[in-house]
Amino acid sequence: MKNAIGRIYILIIMLFLYLPILTLIVLSFNDAKSMSVWTGFSLHWYEELFQSRLMMGAIVNTFSIAIIAALIATIVGTMAVLGMPALRARTENVLMGINNIPMLNADIVTGIALMLFFLMIGAPRGYMTILFSHTVFCVPYVILSVRPRVNKNTNKLYEAALDLGASEGYAFRKIVLPELWPGISSGFLLSFTMSVDDFIITYFTRGAGINTISTLIYSEVKIGIRPSLFALSSIIFAVALLVLLVVNIRQDRAERHKEAAA
Amino acid sequence: MGELIRLEGIVKSFDDTVVLNGIDLSVDENEFVTLLGPSGCGKTTTLRIIAGFEKPDQGRVYFDGKDITDMPANQRPVNTVFQNYALFPHMSVGENIAFSLRVKGKGEKEINDRVKKALKLVNLKGFENRRIDQLSGGQQQRIAMARAIVNEPRVLLLDEPLGALDLKLRQEMEYELVRLKNELGITFIYITHDQEEALTMSDKVVVMNEGFIQQEGSPQEIYDEPVNAFVADFIGDSNILSGQMVDERVVRIDGVDYPCIDGTEEGFPPRRRVDVVIRPEDIDIVPYGKGQWNGEIISKLFIGVHYEMLVQSEDGKVEWLLQNYDQHEVGEKIGMKVDPENIQIMHKPKSEAESAIEIDL
Amino acid sequence: MNSNLISKKPYITPFIIWIIAGTVIPLASIAYYGFTSREGGFTFANITAMFRPDHMQALGLSLLLAVISTLICLLLAFPMAMILRESKFGKHGFLIFIIILPMWMNFLLRTMAWQVLLERKGVINSIITALGFPQQELMNTPGAIVLGMVYDFLPFMILPIYNTVSKIDSSLIEAAYDLGASKAMTYTRVILPLSVPGIVSGITMVFIPALTTFVISNMLGGGKINLIGNIIEQEFTVNSNWYLGSGLSLVMMIFIIISMLLLQKFDKTGGANLI
Repeated sequence: MKNAIGRIYILIIMLFLYLPILTLIVLSFNDAKSMSVWTGFSLHWYEELFQSRLMMGAIVNTFSIAIIAALIATIVGTMAVLGMPALRARTENVLMGINNIPMLNADIVTGIALMLFFLMIGAPRGYMTILFSHTVFCVPYVILSVRPRVNKNTNKLYEAALDLGASEGYAFRKIVLPELWPGISSGFLLSFTMSVDDFIITYFTRGAGINTISTLIYSEVKIGIRPSLFALSSIIFAVALLVLLVVNIRQDRAERHKEAAA
Repeated sequence: MGELIRLEGIVKSFDDTVVLNGIDLSVDENEFVTLLGPSGCGKTTTLRIIAGFEKPDQGRVYFDGKDITDMPANQRPVNTVFQNYALFPHMSVGENIAFSLRVKGKGEKEINDRVKKALKLVNLKGFENRRIDQLSGGQQQRIAMARAIVNEPRVLLLDEPLGALDLKLRQEMEYELVRLKNELGITFIYITHDQEEALTMSDKVVVMNEGFIQQEGSPQEIYDEPVNAFVADFIGDSNILSGQMVDERVVRIDGVDYPCIDGTEEGFPPRRRVDVVIRPEDIDIVPYGKGQWNGEIISKLFIGVHYEMLVQSEDGKVEWLLQNYDQHEVGEKIGMKVDPENIQIMHKPKSEAESAIEIDL
Repeated sequence: MNSNLISKKPYITPFIIWIIAGTVIPLASIAYYGFTSREGGFTFANITAMFRPDHMQALGLSLLLAVISTLICLLLAFPMAMILRESKFGKHGFLIFIIILPMWMNFLLRTMAWQVLLERKGVINSIITALGFPQQELMNTPGAIVLGMVYDFLPFMILPIYNTVSKIDSSLIEAAYDLGASKAMTYTRVILPLSVPGIVSGITMVFIPALTTFVISNMLGGGKINLIGNIIEQEFTVNSNWYLGSGLSLVMMIFIIISMLLLQKFDKTGGANLI
């Protein structure tokens, strides 16, 4: 009984979450432009999507910005985490407080603030300003995910490596880096997805003539929804599904491997 | 057996807190030296200075006559068994042990042989491919040992290596450590806050407190002739009482005058206020009225071999701790007697901090 | 009190440059513009402009819609989190996976999906009319905006709550039953107080974006319903009045800070006065 109610509840939530997406996917194959009438199967919205130079440019921008921003944020954030213990506790607290601001603040405020900053220093808004802005909101996530990996034990292991004759560089590469790796890689992935997903901050920090997927969708929706956007939705959904499945299966396997070994 | 390590006037502070107050220490080749003291006494910092993880603010560290104060940790011929072991969690047991050999660029065959030998030495043959998180605490401890000795260091530093183990395993490991030391023929510098560990294994015990060395000597000397109340209290249970010298070799304790073996010659002239230390096992129980003191047993605890009793003196001012093989009942009135050589007279510290300084005078 | 050998102060330098250039100076420039008039002098006018009736109305509506959608998210998410906790699937991450997946869809596309569903000639209306009912005006209503917010932000409420409830030790719940607590009492006295940290971070993750959004209101409100986010956005993109936009942003930040302080206080009391 209790189980049945639970299942029905899950089902309702699932329907709520997925029906809108499913609708988009179905409509992306619709021959007509209509949002309600099915006139036959067609792939020409996909064709339109892939032939759109604007969209292809936006996709390239989105992913290149995401990769570079995540990379920079990961380096800056990881170095910061490693440097923190050398600071006085009060300094560390102040820095962490400032670090948390972009995470807690509303994106619109972060976006506006960065836009004003670029205007003040006279930086021409474009690819570079978007890139810098993305690193700004990514660094806190890197710090958040790497910091818990650095503890007394990390230093102990590093000392142990030195004690056993390793040079500082060798000890860092072979001992510290593997210890931090789960945090570093999840910080990178988190940054990457936050960057790909961002609209608001990009919206305020981009200049005319440069688009990411998000800003392009926004401007197209404002003009009028074209079914090529449905095709885009289907593709993004499929890619997300695939990536998450792979990650999940690998995690599952790792866990089972661990259980089997124990 | 020549001198291998010498610390000279080591001073170290962290953020205005003085941790080491001028440590002089000499360790001989092949010696098992234990630094013993409560947490915060400076023993770990001393070890870290020898290992090269800390630089002293003042003082020098000599190894085999050479000044190694500024030598980085990775070049010192010492290896450490860390508290909680610090085994590399992402490496197998074999890889952990092989680490220092790989750093040195040894060949695969030699690495293999030496890892095997080290594992055999710690009685964990065939553990090469195990993962660290599959090992019990005792096994991890042995792997940490194996990793530290595989490179044949001249000195092995051990930072409370048994602290995380349960009592039975700890006692077992004490024998193991002594055996290992004898087989390897190298110097051990061992850190612990456990007086029993220190007394069992060491050739020399160095008792530390508040950044000072309080006393160093053989376990026997430390136990039998503690130089001050701190050492006496830290090494085993003690009755520490206030007393006053009333005559040559006569001390007054709790209103009773009693002959002892210390006098002006030993630095305790008449009228001097002193601390008196009496070990609980040195107090004999005699019939009521037949001893130097009388009292009433207020609690009794059976702890394995013997009974431990608290006895309150008749005036209620003093509580005595007694250890005795015979059973007496709570509420029983007894007499207590102590032989003169078991009454240890000590200088009275004027304050907590001076209790440490006085030793240097 | 030991030296930390890995840590070296210079490592932190790039980070300090980043937070100064990326956070401190930009926020300071909002403050600067917010207190500066178009002519260049110091003024409070951009701040007090919030009291203009149209701005007050937008702020009021924003607060109302944000509170409503946060509450709906909370009511939907808590049972979901509890079901996930007790479900066999939960452990293997299948259900979590299903909840995370929509978050990977671009949220503009997700919002657009509701536009497609709610349009006058959209999916829902065509079903309604096919069934013989009159066409409904679903789009461009506050209801549509709330729906969009709930849809976009629901996963952000479920996940943090699930994270905390999944860590509640089952023996605590068993202990409550063992001590004679009813199911309801176990929920209100044990589970709910222990899930407060998750609830608080869930509320933060939903309320603040809901309060400050301009995208959802723009797409599902058809530009006819103005939230405070829309007003600020228009000052920057349409009217190019950064001074006014900054002033209003400052006021909005005050609301964000107040709501976070309230939530934090709630978190610290451990939800003892939740009921």
